[in-house]
Amino acid sequence: MDARTQEFLEYVQSGGQVETGDWMPDEYRARLIKFIEMHGNSELMGVLPERDWILRAPTLQRKLALTAKIQDEVGHAQLIYRVVEDLGKPRSACLDDLVSGKAKFHNVFHYPTKTWGDVGVIAWLVDAAAIVSQKALLKCSYAPYARIMKKICWEESFHILHGRDVILAMVTGTDEQFGLVQEALDRWWEPLMHFHGNPIPAEEDPMFVWRIKSQGNEEARQQFLEGYVSQIRELGLEIPDPALRKDEETGTWLYTEPDWEKLRSVVTGHGPASEERLAFRRLSRQDVDWVERVVLAEAA
Amino acid sequence: MSDRTDLLLSLADDELVLGWRNSEWTGIAPFLEEDVAFSSIAQNEIGHARALYELAAAELGTTADELAFDRTPEEYRCAPLVELRRLEWARTIARHWLYETADEIRLGELKTSEDPEIAGIAAKMNREEAYHRMHAEMWVDRLLSTDDGRSRLKEAVDELWPYALGVLDDELRPELRRRAEERLERKLAEVDAVPRGVHESELAELLEEMTSVRRSAPPGSQW
Repeated sequence: MDARTQEFLEYVQSGGQVETGDWMPDEYRARLIKFIEMHGNSELMGVLPERDWILRAPTLQRKLALTAKIQDEVGHAQLIYRVVEDLGKPRSACLDDLVSGKAKFHNVFHYPTKTWGDVGVIAWLVDAAAIVSQKALLKCSYAPYARIMKKICWEESFHILHGRDVILAMVTGTDEQFGLVQEALDRWWEPLMHFHGNPIPAEEDPMFVWRIKSQGNEEARQQFLEGYVSQIRELGLEIPDPALRKDEETGTWLYTEPDWEKLRSVVTGHGPASEERLAFRRLSRQDVDWVERVVLAEAA
Repeated sequence: MSDRTDLLLSLADDELVLGWRNSEWTGIAPFLEEDVAFSSIAQNEIGHARALYELAAAELGTTADELAFDRTPEEYRCAPLVELRRLEWARTIARHWLYETADEIRLGELKTSEDPEIAGIAAKMNREEAYHRMHAEMWVDRLLSTDDGRSRLKEAVDELWPYALGVLDDELRPELRRRAEERLERKLAEVDAVPRGVHESELAELLEEMTSVRRSAPPGSQW
């Protein structure tokens, strides 16, 4: 490592932040682009599991709330891709890499949604898991990314309230409605445990080393479990992991080791809904391809 | 049912069903900016529908949700224009623009209603629809600016024109024709309107999907 890079590394590790026009090592820039691009892709792909349910929302209030929530997610994608653009990769290139399968998106968006119960679980627990990661990005060494995270975290907190409200209405409803929530929780627990990634020690995680992330994967998962296990159980729901318990001495949550190979397979495009989602996005991109040509011609 | 309730339900059903159709673009619009725009427009429309259903519900002794979700397809009063499934951008823009143009004419009349609730809600709707009109006009400009866009818009407008006439009562249709022809700088076909009261097959399909979650629990369940 050359002296300038070493100095940069020490700067970010001591809490220093970097702006778009500042000098940065190539590796730092490349890792930022990859990480932030995946975040943008995830916000955008995250729209697909939920969008069908706008059309099926069971009351006017739920329809409005879900439309607003999903609109937020698209807005996040828009903001995040702009940050990537400033780092040198245009939005169109991000979208090309997304639909070709070259770029990744988060594991939870590779799964299908089966019932309205999934809508509640996604808005409550997937967004809760996401906010744990996103809050840690408020301290990201790349300042423009840290700044937009304020707005994103604020909106995600609102989604969690919406999700919890959807769940509360169902768990206090008929037995069938309660059943929809329990089944959805059973489906989503494994993806939720995968969400923060394998328990690689923070100091070996390049994203932590460059202080793009401010905490390790396991630390994030522990925060999620600490915040939500009791809330889930209070509603009478059963978490499908018999080994899940808190070690009161160490304060650490213990759980059945998730299948990390499965996580790797899912995020490399082999999840239950990966191909279908990408095919859908490819197709819808083709259908509206002419619109881009018209708009670009008009702007020229 | 009174004429007033009939009017409220016609307006509400138009807004609900068009809002539903606009939501179909969420996540797959040509640009992220359009995703966000159409989601906002859909929220406004669903919000208008809710306010209108609430007025009708007070008269009928029911709730806005029951009116929105629990009627049979034949009981809906929406114009066939909003029922059509046209998940194609030129037709989406053509419908958006034709509907907003017709709606402006309709709301202009309703704002002068002697019924203060109707006049009030029409004025409120018109304030929000003004932004929808700006959005629709911007897209009409964009499409008219290239040969490809112009020909796609023409085909779409011509297809939807009889349906657009059907949004309005007989006496308001000439005004829609005047505004549309002036904007497009061409004559539109002399055709019979596809009026309210008949339904496209797409409405039943839409309602089937829209109510699928709601129907999965007994009537009166909380969601």
